[in-house]
Amino acid sequence: MIPINNFLVLSSILFSLGIYGVLARRSAVLILMSVELMLQAVSINFIAFAVYLSPEAFTGVIFAVFVITIAAAEVGLALAIILRLYRNKATANVDEADTLKW
Amino acid sequence: MGMEEVWIIPALPAAAFAVLLLFGKYLPRGGDFVAIGAIGASFVLFFPVLFDVLDVVDEAGFAGGGKSWEWVQFGDFEIRLGFFVDQIAIVMLAVVSLVALLVQVYSVGYMRGDPKYGWYFTCMSLFAASMLTLVLADNLLLLYAAWEGVGFCSFLLIGFWWERRSAAEAAKKAFITTRIGDVGFLIGILLLWREAGTFDITEIFEFAQGGGYTDADIGGLGLSGNAYLTVAVLALFAGAVGKSGQFPLHVWLPDAMEGPTPVSALIHAATMVVAGVYMVARMFPLFELADAIALDVVTALGLITVLISATMGLAATDIKRVIAYSTLNSLGLMFVALGSGSVTAAMLYLFVHGFFKALLFLSAGSVIHATEKQDLPDLGGLATKMPVTAAVFGLGALAMIGIVPLSGFWAKDEVLNTVDDHRNVILYIVALVSVFITALYMSRLFIRTFLFEPRDRPAQEHAHDAEPVMTAPLIILAVLTVIGGFVVFDLVGEALGFPGGFGEFVFFEEPEGFHFPWDVAILSTLLATCGIAAGWYFWSNEAEPARRAGDALRPVYEMLCNRYYIDDAYQWVIDRVVLTLGSIVAWFDRNIVNDTAVDGSAGLGVFTGFGMKFLETGKLPNYALAIVGGVIGLAVLLMVLRL
Repeated sequence: MIPINNFLVLSSILFSLGIYGVLARRSAVLILMSVELMLQAVSINFIAFAVYLSPEAFTGVIFAVFVITIAAAEVGLALAIILRLYRNKATANVDEADTLKW
Repeated sequence: MGMEEVWIIPALPAAAFAVLLLFGKYLPRGGDFVAIGAIGASFVLFFPVLFDVLDVVDEAGFAGGGKSWEWVQFGDFEIRLGFFVDQIAIVMLAVVSLVALLVQVYSVGYMRGDPKYGWYFTCMSLFAASMLTLVLADNLLLLYAAWEGVGFCSFLLIGFWWERRSAAEAAKKAFITTRIGDVGFLIGILLLWREAGTFDITEIFEFAQGGGYTDADIGGLGLSGNAYLTVAVLALFAGAVGKSGQFPLHVWLPDAMEGPTPVSALIHAATMVVAGVYMVARMFPLFELADAIALDVVTALGLITVLISATMGLAATDIKRVIAYSTLNSLGLMFVALGSGSVTAAMLYLFVHGFFKALLFLSAGSVIHATEKQDLPDLGGLATKMPVTAAVFGLGALAMIGIVPLSGFWAKDEVLNTVDDHRNVILYIVALVSVFITALYMSRLFIRTFLFEPRDRPAQEHAHDAEPVMTAPLIILAVLTVIGGFVVFDLVGEALGFPGGFGEFVFFEEPEGFHFPWDVAILSTLLATCGIAAGWYFWSNEAEPARRAGDALRPVYEMLCNRYYIDDAYQWVIDRVVLTLGSIVAWFDRNIVNDTAVDGSAGLGVFTGFGMKFLETGKLPNYALAIVGGVIGLAVLLMVLRL
């Protein structure tokens, strides 16, 4: 059996990549993709722990499915917002969308 | 209708007040008939109560009767309110209800045509209700509430013509000056309550007689013996000093003459100002139980008031002010009587004073009404034009002087006799001197108003006796002034159904049978006649001797005209001390409280918000960085704390 550490390292790497993407990218689409990476890192953790801790009860797996579903919905919503942003500003650069301040 | 239902007596004018306040505008004649009807009914209902009291007054241990209701209940502690009649209250009730009725009838003529005619009767009804409540209260809290109620009505009615600046000022002065005493009164009530746990007057007496106040202490002052009770009764007396215009709080009463004259007659002569005397008489068992110093203070302040008011009366020129000084003089005598231990003498004086002083004020009101002048230099020679007014005024003045057999004589004699019996000879002599001065200024007032040549002919051209609605109350009061004093005789008292003379009906601890000390009577009559004769010498014709005396004693005359500079001294204190303190407090309020504390804290919020708002860039990556940084920071913190 593959040791759990491998899964955890993988999910950490994925999560960190996601954070890096969210922080470093300026394109709203890329930020959204980075968020997806972070969500998938969480899903990997769920499944790995589920297999190792209680293989017969499908809790972790069910959570992973939930995460995927919610992520899909979230992407739908976020893409709609990005589209509206693009319509208004003619760009998807989040630095340009800074009107919500003092 | 008996003692149980005595609450109806104050309730009637109170109802009249409510009706007039709400619907007075829509009633014909401003609703004066409602006010007069209510007070008239109160006066009629006084008789059944009197007969009820007379039925039981002979029974041993009669201490009054009435009815009370639960008012407030907190756990075990309850406050009851109720109405209560005993002999003292009956006497006061008689004066208040009768004089209030007569004065209101008189006011119909006096106030006719005034733009605030209806409002006048509204205030009068409220006053009557408060005053009757004050008389009948069985409870110090209710007494205090009514006490403030009459003070408020006095304020309203002194300032009735508030368009005149002097009237507004006088109203303010009266209210504030009496308030000073009222604070003392409230402290006294609370001190009594603190130990006894009840506001009920009878229960407080029982508590005090059971030694409840012995060795009580106020907040570690180390009082023992009767000191606590002494402090409490002196605080009560402070209230009486304010209300009854005793030195040093007498300054408001002469100024209160700015109000309509019937108001002066009712409030500032017959009823409200004697509330202080009544209160002390009511609480007399406590004064008796306290250390002797309490009654000494009462006597001393009374005598000082008698002397300064009588002498100030010599110099005042406004006829109403002269009568106001004579009121102070009478009130001082009542306190001297109380201080010398005789409730009987004080209440007798109060009883007859109500009639002859109201008579003096109302007839002075007729003079003012007829001539629109009230300064002695503008009057004179009115006797031929206004014979009835002059006659009743003369009767009132003679009663005030104390000429046999008018009512004032018997009362004043009783007071002098008490002083002679219970106080040392110096006080007795001082009291006798005041009799002489009283005769002097009262005869001056009468001579300068009614006799010899008119000094202002045009004003008096059409002067005549007032219409019947004003003259009738004068005549009734004049009759009472003449015969009112006869109640001292056992014969008269028994004929009226009382157990005996006045002294056997109203007394403290033991009935005081009527006895007639010839020496006192002869001495006082002699002094009074000398006073009148001297008054005649000084002020007859052109008043040349008086002018010469005034010139010879210029400093004294100046001092009297300036009312011993007491008002000036108070004004100085107000200007220099009170206003200086006030400006310091105002400075503190403006600069520290307002500018620094209130505006400062608000300004701090504005300033910080202004600085902080630039952290909000609106840029998504900044927020994301802040979130991540925050999570990492929390994680590091958690690890550090775990280690």
